[in-house]
Amino acid sequence: MAKTQVEDIDRNVYDIKDKDNYDFKIEKGITKEIVEEISKQKNDPEWMREFRLKALEVYNSLEMPTWGPDLSELNMEEIATYVRPKTKLNTSWDDVPDDIKNTFDRLGIPEAERKSLAGVGAQYDSEVVYHSMKEDLIKQGVIYTDMETAIREYPDLVKQYFMKCVPVNDHKFVALHGAVWSGGSFVYVPKNVKLDFPLQSYFRLNSPESGQFEHTLIIVEEGASLHFIEGCSAPKYNKINLHAGCVELIVKDNAYLRYSTIENWSKNMMNLNTKKAMIGKNAQVDWVTGSFGSKISMLYPLSQLNGEGAKTEYTGISFAGEGQNLDTGFKAIHNAPNTSSVVNAKSISKNGGKCTYRSLIKISPKAKGSKSSVSCESLMLDDISVSDTIPVNDIQTDDVEFSHEAKIGKISDKTIFYLMSRGLSEEDAKAMIVRGFAYPISKELPVEYAVEMNNLINLELEGCIG
Amino acid sequence: MSNTLIELKDLHVNAGEKEILKGINLKINKGEIHVIMGPNGSGKTTTANAILNNPEYTKTAGQVIYEGENINDLKTDEIARKGVFMSFQLPEEIPGISVTNFLKYAKNKITGQPVKIFQFKDELKKYMEELNMNPKNMDRSLNVGFSGGEKKKNEILQMLVLNPKLAILDETDSGLDVDAIKTVSKGIEMFKNENNAVLIITHNNKILHSLKVDYVHVLVDGKIVATGTQELATEIENNGYSKYKK
Amino acid sequence: MDNKKGKNMLRINETPVRTSKSFNINDININETEIENESNVFENVEIIGDSSKIQISNNKTPINLKYGLGEELTNQVKNNSNQEFQIVVDSKTNKETIFNFDFNKTNSSLIENIDILANEGTSATFVFKYESLKDVEAYHNGIIKLNAKENSNINIIIINLLSDNSKNLLAIENTIEKNANVTYTIVDFGGEKTVTNYYSNVAGDFAKSNLNTIYLGKDKQVLDLNYIAELYGEKSNVNIEVQGALKDKARKNFKGTIDFKKGCKKAVGEENENCMLLSDTAKSIALPMLLCSEEDVEGAHSSSAGKIGEKELFYIMSRGFELKEAQKLLVRANFNKILENISNEDLKNLILKNIDLKLD
Repeated sequence: MAKTQVEDIDRNVYDIKDKDNYDFKIEKGITKEIVEEISKQKNDPEWMREFRLKALEVYNSLEMPTWGPDLSELNMEEIATYVRPKTKLNTSWDDVPDDIKNTFDRLGIPEAERKSLAGVGAQYDSEVVYHSMKEDLIKQGVIYTDMETAIREYPDLVKQYFMKCVPVNDHKFVALHGAVWSGGSFVYVPKNVKLDFPLQSYFRLNSPESGQFEHTLIIVEEGASLHFIEGCSAPKYNKINLHAGCVELIVKDNAYLRYSTIENWSKNMMNLNTKKAMIGKNAQVDWVTGSFGSKISMLYPLSQLNGEGAKTEYTGISFAGEGQNLDTGFKAIHNAPNTSSVVNAKSISKNGGKCTYRSLIKISPKAKGSKSSVSCESLMLDDISVSDTIPVNDIQTDDVEFSHEAKIGKISDKTIFYLMSRGLSEEDAKAMIVRGFAYPISKELPVEYAVEMNNLINLELEGCIG
Repeated sequence: MSNTLIELKDLHVNAGEKEILKGINLKINKGEIHVIMGPNGSGKTTTANAILNNPEYTKTAGQVIYEGENINDLKTDEIARKGVFMSFQLPEEIPGISVTNFLKYAKNKITGQPVKIFQFKDELKKYMEELNMNPKNMDRSLNVGFSGGEKKKNEILQMLVLNPKLAILDETDSGLDVDAIKTVSKGIEMFKNENNAVLIITHNNKILHSLKVDYVHVLVDGKIVATGTQELATEIENNGYSKYKK
Repeated sequence: MDNKKGKNMLRINETPVRTSKSFNINDININETEIENESNVFENVEIIGDSSKIQISNNKTPINLKYGLGEELTNQVKNNSNQEFQIVVDSKTNKETIFNFDFNKTNSSLIENIDILANEGTSATFVFKYESLKDVEAYHNGIIKLNAKENSNINIIIINLLSDNSKNLLAIENTIEKNANVTYTIVDFGGEKTVTNYYSNVAGDFAKSNLNTIYLGKDKQVLDLNYIAELYGEKSNVNIEVQGALKDKARKNFKGTIDFKKGCKKAVGEENENCMLLSDTAKSIALPMLLCSEEDVEGAHSSSAGKIGEKELFYIMSRGFELKEAQKLLVRANFNKILENISNEDLKNLILKNIDLKLD
């Protein structure tokens, strides 16, 4: 039986490379001198310089992960960890140099900003080149800026939280991040302020043989509410690029944060990212994640439910094609009574791609009356691909409701016959089923991304209706 | 032009290694409603699936001639696009695809024409009202969580929307209550005209109480053992199939 | 843990695929001092059964395990076993063959090597029962190897009723050929530490591997169950069902892996694990893995944990049962489906009696 041609996303838009036209590019490798030079280039305050050097020590002391995908292709000697674009931070697109602006235009960022966003940040290689937010939000005390500005202007706030939620000794690549981090967004939403439109940060890595290490720190004060979107992409090069970002989310009592990610790195990217949320009493964090790009991904956002009644939901889809190994999943640690976590994870493997769902649900002895339900579904589109489910469920108290379900398989022949009997070709039938499979996730994504995802599945479902 | 829509000639069909149909002959003209009755396991569902060339079944001999063309080896979707429709005994559930989107897409495939959205929605709504269907079902995933009756009505809805030349209804009446059967009959009457035909496959004849048919065929052990009019159905209702079994 | 102590720690019962170290489930540590050597033959074995259809001899057979509990423990059986059985099944038999291993003061340590060859078209049931007196600190390190040839049908029942201060270490490896059917029923009630590695190589087309386990943990008992099934044969089938209950400070690690290997077209694998928590200090960790390199398969697993349903408990108590009795009843009810695999009424009664004892 012929196989469905579920095409790769039309990568043209992402693959257009700009000239590697940087202002400053650090030499490749990771040494004390390099870290000090980055710190100097970035005009770090002293505490940050010390922080970086300490993180480097931790990096050198930690081993590579003993589990998960093979990272042997990653050679830090071949990675430039800091690349400064030829522009400063701008607050108007008109001031962004044409080549960089054109890149973000092609990605639709300024257009999305006009249409549906409350604020936008755009990072190009190691530095943020554009940041802007709607006037009324500034008046309400919302802060949305790049991390460097935040360190200068809100040092106490940053010091209080920076890499406290994710400690540098968490794993080797967090330590690396701590040593060479640059760029990223800082968001502060004051008490009871509710944003009606999302903020979006877009991360673009253009420079070959380099790394991006942006740091995102979001503080949502009591009773406040925010939807934050991050997008990322890069053109494809022949050599390995590295992304080791870090996201720290502090969500206080009764607050709400929705964190949406659409990850579309090129297939030469090692995406070793770390994300964690600390969730207060009756607060909620929802993660929506679409992972399509990268050669290797290791990403498991963590929700730490610290306050009574805290909630979290994870909705994620991975789509691995040829040469891709996407090892993704979720971690929830229930640390307080009556907390709840809901996981809905899906994956699609094709053309020899590998998807792994890896997770931890931990219910500590303190988390009485907690609930957790996990559902994983994996779809195999051919017999050369791989799909693994590796969930750990650690239950340390009796007063819980915990359930985990996982399913794996292919598209049923009966379903294909049913759709074909309605006039759909076999390929159309399969594509329709795949799209339906992904729908619970795509409906949670911002609309532009949902469209992008459906293009990915190459369904002309809407296109042909006229 | 011939009035014959479809003709099965000495059709032999296997499911796996087992021979299910052992030489079926059947001719359906435009404007006619035919019924195939038979006990469980006699080959009724196989007949429907063989016409649509379900890959689970193999034709070992004979022909399916549709509008003068041998369609034995056409793919299911090609047969569907030529105007053959089958209402499934157990319709498949497709999560994530709404009834509306599915039908728009299928209609486009069948007609090869762009579907006019507003007209299409109005048409859909009208049919759903006629079939006593909950209009909310339009936006639900196809067949997912539908009751048995809702699934069957949804099949009839698809028949009306896709407007085939030959509608094969495989056990569409089974498991339905009297009201639902009446609704299905009403759907068939709405569909029926002098240019199309209906083949009803059933193991009971409840549906024949509310529908007038032209021919009744009795299928036993892979062969048509008797052909008659509506009276034959009545006779079977009273006496069962024992007379036709060896 | 200080470094000195750490040096003597052995990591055993590793999962076939590792996950993050911090999840504490890739393996389990045992202290080297927990491994006991015994040079005297373990004599207290009683064998009951039909010797006309089954040959049993005390031959030592070569050991070469794909997984096992770890090099040290496998080597111990290889080099220092004190009881060996080579078993050959030649025809069909309905009568069970029962091995009763009774641990006492003079026979407290069993290092055993059991090798079963089930020839084509044969069928048999084996029961391996390990029981110790209450005050005996038993040590059991065993390997059971089974080769089920074409069309054979083998039923194995393992009952662990060792004392609560015993070590129970067991590695099982099955090769299941075309159209053969292997069913294990494992009852794990005893042992301060019970560590089981179970591996089924579901090699043949239409081969079937079933594993049903019930366990009960109390006090500080630790269970580490590492069940692995690899499907190679077309239309092969794996079913793993685990039902357990933990009270006091008992802890259970369940690692269940169903691995669909390339080529096992139309294979079906299911795994269901449920842990009833009877105290707020009991701990249950589960890692139900599904690994898949073949498209045309159906795989599913489910895992659940929590208290006994309060509604059910209330219903039963409203009929005059006190809490403990009601709990027992519900635990027994959950175990019943698995106990149905045991047709021997005496054995079943023994198990039921032990459920009651453990839950008192």
